[in-house]
Amino acid sequence: MSATLLEGVRVLTLEQVHALPWGTAFLADLGAQVIRIESVEHLQDRKAGPFPNGKPGPEWWNEGANLAYFGTRNKQSLCLDVTKPAGKDVFLKLVKHCDIVTDNFRPGTMRRLGFDHESLAQVNPRIITLSSTAYGHTGPWSRAGSRARTIDSVCGMSYLTGFEGGPSVRASNNYMDHSTGNNVAYALLLALYRRSRTGNGMRIDLSMQETGVSCIGPAILEAQRGITRPRLGCSHLWKAPHNVYPCAGSDRWIAIAVTNDVEWNALKQAMGTPAWAETALYDSGQSRWEHRHDLDAKLAEWTATQDDKTLLHSLQAHGVRAGAVLTAADLVSDPHLKQREFIQTIERAGGLRTYASRPFRIPGISMAIRHAADLGEHNEPVLRDVAGLSSEEIDALATDGIIAQRPRAEERAP
Amino acid sequence: MSDAMGGILAGLKVLELTQAPSGAFCAKLLADQGADTIKLEAPGWGDQMRNEPPFIGGEPHPDRSTTFLALNTNKRGITLDLEQAAARSLLLRLAVTTDVVIESFAPGYVDHLGVGYDALRDVNPGVILVSITYFGQTGPYANYKGDDLIAQAMGGYLYAVTGPADKPPMGTALQQMELTAGRNGVIAVMAALMQRDRTAAGTHIDVSVMEAAIATPSMLIQNYGYLGRNVRRGAGDKFVMDGMHLPTRDGEVSLTTAGTGGRPMEVWAEFLGEPRLLDPKFATRQSRNDNWEALRDLVAPKLAQWTNLELMRETMARGLVIGLVQSPEQVANSPHLTERGYFVELDHREVGKLKYPGPGFFLDGANPMQALYAAPRLGEHNEEILCRELGLSTEELGRLRAARVV
Repeated sequence: MSATLLEGVRVLTLEQVHALPWGTAFLADLGAQVIRIESVEHLQDRKAGPFPNGKPGPEWWNEGANLAYFGTRNKQSLCLDVTKPAGKDVFLKLVKHCDIVTDNFRPGTMRRLGFDHESLAQVNPRIITLSSTAYGHTGPWSRAGSRARTIDSVCGMSYLTGFEGGPSVRASNNYMDHSTGNNVAYALLLALYRRSRTGNGMRIDLSMQETGVSCIGPAILEAQRGITRPRLGCSHLWKAPHNVYPCAGSDRWIAIAVTNDVEWNALKQAMGTPAWAETALYDSGQSRWEHRHDLDAKLAEWTATQDDKTLLHSLQAHGVRAGAVLTAADLVSDPHLKQREFIQTIERAGGLRTYASRPFRIPGISMAIRHAADLGEHNEPVLRDVAGLSSEEIDALATDGIIAQRPRAEERAP
Repeated sequence: MSDAMGGILAGLKVLELTQAPSGAFCAKLLADQGADTIKLEAPGWGDQMRNEPPFIGGEPHPDRSTTFLALNTNKRGITLDLEQAAARSLLLRLAVTTDVVIESFAPGYVDHLGVGYDALRDVNPGVILVSITYFGQTGPYANYKGDDLIAQAMGGYLYAVTGPADKPPMGTALQQMELTAGRNGVIAVMAALMQRDRTAAGTHIDVSVMEAAIATPSMLIQNYGYLGRNVRRGAGDKFVMDGMHLPTRDGEVSLTTAGTGGRPMEVWAEFLGEPRLLDPKFATRQSRNDNWEALRDLVAPKLAQWTNLELMRETMARGLVIGLVQSPEQVANSPHLTERGYFVELDHREVGKLKYPGPGFFLDGANPMQALYAAPRLGEHNEEILCRELGLSTEELGRLRAARVV
């Protein structure tokens, strides 16, 4: 299998942190030449690690685990200072031969650099540009910045997250980076699909907040008709029992989700039809839900002494929706994932490292991690083959510090 | 911009026969970009999501579930009982002109019915079949049953992501693993469409909700490989300056140290008018965690003097980054989103006009979400699709209805 689907598609990306790099990595997986433009002024992604055993090595800037997961995954690295005139010049030469330019600066930065859509379209009329920002390029909050977790807050998701009757809690650390990144990939593939039919480029203004709001659609409809959605932890608006229950060992749990009477009867059978479960109170879904706290407590007594994985398999064998609360250690040795070859192992930073694969399989299209680019690894091939520079011109850029392949001497390890 | 009228995917035909939010959301994302999307449901109660509370108006009604409404925009609906041979042959007739079929039955079920990938390919070599299930098409758990919570559990998300360290796993609201699977599904669909542009051949895509859950928290698997320990929930419990929800005059907010030029406490001390934040015991991230309660007790009363919107305006003016903890109602009424034209209004015969979230991207300045249909009522387009488009006579449709095929 080879990744040739997007062969010939060239992406220039001015990207940092998480959401946009996550998005462009899908195109890189599919075989697009994704050129990530990096700067020795802003090495925070390369400082972010994580590093083997938490210790940055002598070439720490090429060792972080996240580089291979999304940062420079299947991409090329061009370490180019686009704020200097000579760097700008090179950037515009590259744009002429590219299909897509993406950025995740705050609105206005690309215009200041002379790289806004209109300027780039003058250089390359078929260009597709995508700008991934917190709140989009228009509207009163367009200048505000974000972190993924502030998007969880501002889109409404964190407000809905929490235990029953308890306060709201930040929903996640990075969920919105991933949702946004997936949306980036979708939008770019849509734009390429359209261009293959119409020949036209496009300007895409993608907002993290709006991606977030599209994750809570039902609650947005409810809010317009005065319906308040309660926080429920792992409980459910109408299913019961539906929760996590303790198992033997420390911090081991099983999730059980009973959807209807058939599944409730299956659960009872799996428990050996205990007397406490044989009450009319638990005969209907409505009544189980009303008595869910008692039901949860009794079920927890039953699960507390059992092994989570054994219980998972026996409950599923009875037809009960159940899932052990698995840890990363569980997942890397999980027989199901092993058979599906979901955990990819690659040699990096002096050891074999595990990575999650893409959650979908398309026969004939590999989405595997093939390479993670070192800082400035592709300076020369990109400048020579894409921008058409001579060796002398490339050498001059290196001498002037416009391109680089390692951090400045004064840069300290993270 | 002629294509903008009908959306980028105008002309693409999608057939969705799913029983879970993942596939419905995947099909919705395509439908919202203009794909002619038909939702196929069993006669009677249809998609189980129609039973999902809450309901607009309060009382259970198959056309008023907010979950169903939110996940089925811009689709047309027909009913077919696939347990009956007549329905299956109609499905295959529809498949002749269909580009993408999305299904979420137990692995092997559509094959067993004779409408699996091989049968679809026989009538349409270019067809793309997307199977979205909790555990994927292969492997020892393939036939296990799930829901969003089960996917959070088995995908490592429940253990690793949401809630405090000293409590049981909390879980994340509103079926996010299902939605993530759907978002991955459309990427796979676009790739398969482009592959088909080159080869004319379709394909069968296997999407797993469990794997979508694993691929979501940023560092679950690789952190284990690099650090030898499990990512566990609660890592941010003490982050007063970076994620904790703190009360304001009319809501809640979370702060960040972004935009402070590496001097978070100086900048926030000045902004909040609280010089005690400059105490050395709050100087580093570690010391702030060690003294988080004292820090919270200084920051919270100051924040409580602000309203959410004032705080947003003033922090934005100074380049600081905060996250207002907005309720869905505040989001639905957001002046920012309103000015951007983010929401799309759709009219539905049973629930009236409602604003629906857009896709999250604007193309050449326009919101590309189509406003053709609100979610279909059960069997709403039977006649339109089966008679006018597929060519059945009214009598034939009548016979199929009488036999409960439709």
